[in-house]
Amino acid sequence: MSKNAKGTPIVKGLGFDSFGLGANACTVDIDEEANKILRIRPFHFDEHQTPEELNAWKIEARGKTFEPGFKTLISPLSLCYKKRVYSKNRIPYPMKRIDWDPAGERNPQNRGTSGYERISWDEAAEIVAAEIKRMHDEYAPEAILCEIDGHGETKVVHASHGCITHLLDLCGGFTLQSRQPDSWEGWYWGAKHIWGMDPLGQQNKQNNVIKDISENGDAVLFWGCDPETTPLGWGGYMASRICFWFTEIGVKQIHISPDVNYANAVHADKWIPVLPNTDAALQLAIAYTWIKDGTFDQEYLDTHAVGFENFKYYVLGGEDGVPKTPKWAEKICGVPSYTIKALARYWAKHAVSIAHCNGGSFIRSCFAHEPARLEVALLGMQGLGKPGANQFKFMEWTLFGIPTLDPLPPSTHIPSLGAAYRGYVTGTKTSFIPKTMIPEAIMNPPVSWYGHISAGLPREDQFDGPYTFPPEGGSRVHMIWSDSPCWETCWNGGFKMQDALRDESIECVVVQHPWMENDTMFADIILPSNTKFETEDIGTDCDSGQWNVVFYERQAIKPLGESKSDKEVVAEVAKKLEKFGGIYEDIYDKYLGGKTDDEWIRVGFDTSGAPEGMSFEEFKEKQYYAFPTREDWKDIPAGVREFHDDPEANPLRTPSGKLEYYSTTLAQNFPDDKERGPIPHWVDEGAGHQERQYLERGRKYPFLLVSNHPHFRVHAQHDDVTWFREMETCKVTGPDGYKYEPVWVNPIDAGKLSLETGDVVRVYNERGAVLGGVIVSERIMPGAVYQDHGARCDSIVLGEGGLDRGGANNLIAPTACTSNHAHGEVTSGFLVNIEKVDVHKLAEEYPEAFERDYDPACGLVATARVVNGKEGE
Amino acid sequence: MGKVFIFDAAKCNGCRNCQLACKDEHVDNEWLPYAKPQPDTGQFWTSMEEIIRGQVPKVKVSYVMHRCQHCDNAPCMKAAPDAVYKREDGLVIIDPVKAEGKRELVDACPYGAIFWNEELSIPQKCTGCAHLVDEGELPHCVDVCPHEALRFGDEEDFADEIAKAEAIAPERAASDEPRMYYLNLPKRFIGGIIVDLEADEVIIGAKITLENLDSGEIKVTESDDFGDFWFHQIPAAKFRVYVEANGYLTRVIEADTTNEDKNIGPIDLYINQLG
Repeated sequence: MSKNAKGTPIVKGLGFDSFGLGANACTVDIDEEANKILRIRPFHFDEHQTPEELNAWKIEARGKTFEPGFKTLISPLSLCYKKRVYSKNRIPYPMKRIDWDPAGERNPQNRGTSGYERISWDEAAEIVAAEIKRMHDEYAPEAILCEIDGHGETKVVHASHGCITHLLDLCGGFTLQSRQPDSWEGWYWGAKHIWGMDPLGQQNKQNNVIKDISENGDAVLFWGCDPETTPLGWGGYMASRICFWFTEIGVKQIHISPDVNYANAVHADKWIPVLPNTDAALQLAIAYTWIKDGTFDQEYLDTHAVGFENFKYYVLGGEDGVPKTPKWAEKICGVPSYTIKALARYWAKHAVSIAHCNGGSFIRSCFAHEPARLEVALLGMQGLGKPGANQFKFMEWTLFGIPTLDPLPPSTHIPSLGAAYRGYVTGTKTSFIPKTMIPEAIMNPPVSWYGHISAGLPREDQFDGPYTFPPEGGSRVHMIWSDSPCWETCWNGGFKMQDALRDESIECVVVQHPWMENDTMFADIILPSNTKFETEDIGTDCDSGQWNVVFYERQAIKPLGESKSDKEVVAEVAKKLEKFGGIYEDIYDKYLGGKTDDEWIRVGFDTSGAPEGMSFEEFKEKQYYAFPTREDWKDIPAGVREFHDDPEANPLRTPSGKLEYYSTTLAQNFPDDKERGPIPHWVDEGAGHQERQYLERGRKYPFLLVSNHPHFRVHAQHDDVTWFREMETCKVTGPDGYKYEPVWVNPIDAGKLSLETGDVVRVYNERGAVLGGVIVSERIMPGAVYQDHGARCDSIVLGEGGLDRGGANNLIAPTACTSNHAHGEVTSGFLVNIEKVDVHKLAEEYPEAFERDYDPACGLVATARVVNGKEGE
Repeated sequence: MGKVFIFDAAKCNGCRNCQLACKDEHVDNEWLPYAKPQPDTGQFWTSMEEIIRGQVPKVKVSYVMHRCQHCDNAPCMKAAPDAVYKREDGLVIIDPVKAEGKRELVDACPYGAIFWNEELSIPQKCTGCAHLVDEGELPHCVDVCPHEALRFGDEEDFADEIAKAEAIAPERAASDEPRMYYLNLPKRFIGGIIVDLEADEVIIGAKITLENLDSGEIKVTESDDFGDFWFHQIPAAKFRVYVEANGYLTRVIEADTTNEDKNIGPIDLYINQLG
C-alpha cells in the first residue's frame, strides 16, 4: 500500500439549511499531505462514548425493536459534497461586470447578459465600500437591500448568512429582505388560526409520537409528504428508517399526492392520487361523509372545539347551497367518490396520524391555508391527541431549539452555538420587505402588507400592520448585497425578479457566493466565498434522530482559488470602510468582535452546553460530544395527549384555548376576506389567482405543475454535482447533448401530446416558459405534470414572458402571494401547458445562449461568464 | 475465508448512496495495487437500476443493484488470466498495470460490470474496496447503506441469507459462481380495486382468486378496507382473476404479466338478480 488508505478523520456538518442550524454530521477522511479530501462517510457516535453513556434508546412494540444505530444515516447530498467543493462552477476570483462603471455608465439593463472581468480583492472591496458610502451619503442606509436568508452551508464562525448585515448594522442599518415561512406556508397562514400552534403552524408537540404510533397506531397518512427526499439536506435517512419500521410492525402507510414520490415508491401500502392543490375538496368530502355517517367524535368536539356547528353548516351546503359530497369532490380532485368514502370510513374506525415533510402543492399553492386548516379540522373530528392520532413531521426535529418537536426519544440538550455565530440572525427592522414582494417593492413602490412576515413569529403577528415599503420618509432600494443569490429559482415568479434586478433604480448589485449560479449572474461585483471544507469551525447536528451532537470542524483543505469565507469577505469590505472615519472608525475590529477564529470556536464550545468536565483541548482532540438520551423520555406525554385528556388545563394557543373551526380573530381582523375567511372553505379563485383546471385559464393551460423539494438538490444547491447529473433520473439528455431538468408526464397525457421520453418540452404560461426533458411515467397522475424546483437558471430570454433552458420553474410561478392577507409563495400546483420544442431550431434562434460555455457533466461552468480572466488588467 | 455481498431489494430505498460512495472512493483517488482512479462520470462500478412498476394508482418502484459479482469462476479471469486474479477472500481484481490495453475484458463480463478507461487505457471495475478491506474496514458502499440493504462479510456468517438468495442472472449462476447474492428481487404484481359502481361503494372482503394459466398455481386473497387487492411477487405469466362477493355476480378477468406488472383497475361487480 503506497499510502494510508484511511486518511485522517475529521468531522463536518454537511447540512444545508442555512444559518447556524447544524445537521448531517459526517466523518471526512482527509489526506493532509496532499491537501485533499479522500472520502465522506458516516459519523460514529460511539467512537468516544459508550452506548451506556449515550443512554441508547430503543422503541419496543408488537414484538419488535427499533434502535437508532451508532452511526449517522448519511444523506447522498452530503456524500457527494466533494463534487460541490471542487466544482467547475466555483468562482475563482473577484470579478466586475464589464459594462458596469461605478464612475460612469452603469448599464443596469445588461445585468444577466454581460460578462465579467477579473479584479483584485483590493479593488473589489474598495468598490463595494465606496458604494456603501455613496448610498449613505446620497440616500440612506436603507437604500441597501440585504438578502441574507435562504439556504446554504451551515457554518457558525464563518457564517454563510448575515455577515453582511452584521457589518451594516454597525454603520447605520439596511433594508431587510424578510423571509416568509416558505416551507410551511399553509400551516403558518392557515393551521395556526384553528389550533394556535406556533411558531410554524404544524403540531408543535411531537415528543414520543413515533413510540405512540408504534404502540397504538393503525395508519399514517402521508399527505404530500416525502420522507425519502425532503429531509435529506437536514437529517439523513432516519425518516426512511421509520418508514421501514412502520412496514415491519404493520402500520399502514397511505400516500395522498399527485405523484409517486420517493417514499411512496418504496413504502406505501396505498396511493390515493389527488390533483395538485385540490386536497381541500377531498378533505371537505371526508368531513361530509363523517357527518352523514355520524362517525365523528361529537363529544370530543363539545369539550375541545368552538365553532364546529358553523363548519358543519358550510360542509352540508347551508352556506353556499353546495353540499361538499364525495361526488362534488371527485370532479375537483380526481379521487373517485367511492375511494373518498372508503378512506373516510377507514379513518373513522382506526387510529390515524398524519405525517408531513415540507413543501409541495399541498402546502405551497394558492390558498394553501385552507387544506392546512381543514387537515386540523379532520384530526379534531376524530379526537386529535388520542392514542395513535397526531400530526408529526419527518424532519426539523429541533428547529429553533424547540425541545418538543422531536418525535423520537430526545437528547438531554439541544446545543446552541448562537454566541459564536458571526453572521447575524436579524430581528425586526423598521425598513423591511417580504421576500415574496421584492420585485414589486423594487419596481413599483410603495407596497404594503400585514405582519413582520419572518418565519417563526406568533399567530398574532399576522394581524399587525399594515406595513409599507418604503416606510414613511424611507428610501427605496438602490443597492443590493446578497449572500444567498437564488431568488429566481427558489421564490415566486423569478422572471419578474430578473426585471427587478435590471431596473434602473438599482445602481449596484453585490453578490458573495462560492458558485457562479442563478442571481450571481446579475451582480455588478462578485466576491468569491468558499465552502466549509476550507475553514475551521464548530458545528452541531440535532436532526439525526439519534443523539444531538456538538463537534469541532477542522479545516480540511486550503481555500480554493482566491476564495475567502463569508466572514472574511465582509471583513475585506469593513477594512476599506475605515478610511471614511466617523461611524466607520474601527469598524473592522468591531465587526470581528475582538476575537480570533479559534477564540470564537471556544466561545461556541463554552456556551454549547457540553459538560463542564470536558476541556476545550479534549473537545478538539475527540472532535465531538454527543448528548445522551433523556433519562425520562418514556414519561413525556405523546403528542398532544395532554390537550386530549384535559383541554382546560392544557389549552391551545388560540384565543379560546380550543380548536377554532370558526376563527374569531380572522373574523375580527379581516372581516371581508373571502379567500381566508373565519371557516376553512374550498376557494375556486381569488383576486390574485385563477389556478383551477375547470375555470377559464385552465383551457389555455390545462396541466397543474407539481414541484416538490428536489430529490438531487437542496433547493438551488447541488445542481452541478456530476455524480447526480449522470443518473438517468436526475437529468434528461436532449438531442443537443444538454442535460435538461426532467418533466414527468403520465402516458395518457403523453399520448395526447405525442410526447416520448427524451423529448424536450416548453413548460409555460403567460409568465414565461422553462424547458424540460420528458420522462413518460406512471409516477404522475394524468392532468398533472411533475418537475422538481431549484434547477439552475440558464435563461435564454430574460424577464417576464422569458424563456429558461435550465428548467427553473419558479421563474413561471405566480407572482401573487398565497392570498390577499397571507404573503406566502405559490410555487407548486399552478397551471401550465407543455409542448414539444425543437432545440436545434431554438439554438438557431438564440445562438448566444446556446453557445455558452457548458460542460454536460457539471452544467454551466463559471468560465461561461468570464470575458477577461487575466490578473491585473 | 471467503467474503460475500448480500443485496436485499426489500430493504433498499433507492437512495444511491452505494453508487455515490463508489465515486467518492475511487474518483480522483488511486488505490494501488488494486485500482487506478475511476473517471469522474460514465463508469458505474456500482449502479442502481430503477424499475417503475404498474399503472396509476397501483405503482411501485423497485431498485436492483448492478456490479461485479466477484465470481469464483469469473469469465473475466478466463479471458485474461494474467491480468485478472482472485484474492484469497474471493474478491476479483483486475490488475490496473497488467490489464493495460486489454479492452476485450469489457465484453468478457456478462454482467456489464467492466468499464473501459479511455484516458488510462485500462479496463476497470469494483474492487470490493480491497484497500479498505485490507485495513479491516467495510467497502465504502456498504458503510453508507442506511438500511443494511447491502451487506458484506464472511460467507459463513451469511449462511441463512445465502440459502434463500438468488442470482441476478440465474441461468449463469452455476457456471460463474457469483459471490454477490440477491434477496427479494422484484417479480411481478397484479392489483386492482373491487367496486359496486351503481352503489358508488368499494366492496370490502371480496374473494379474489388468481389462477396462473401457465402453471395452474392458485393464490387467494381478499379485498381490503379500500376495496383493494394485491398479489405480490408472482411470476411473469398469463393469469385469470376470479372475483366473488356475497350477493354479487362472480366476474372473471384475464390479466397478463408477461411484459409488465398489472393494475387491473376498478372491477365493477353487479348485484346477483338471477335468483
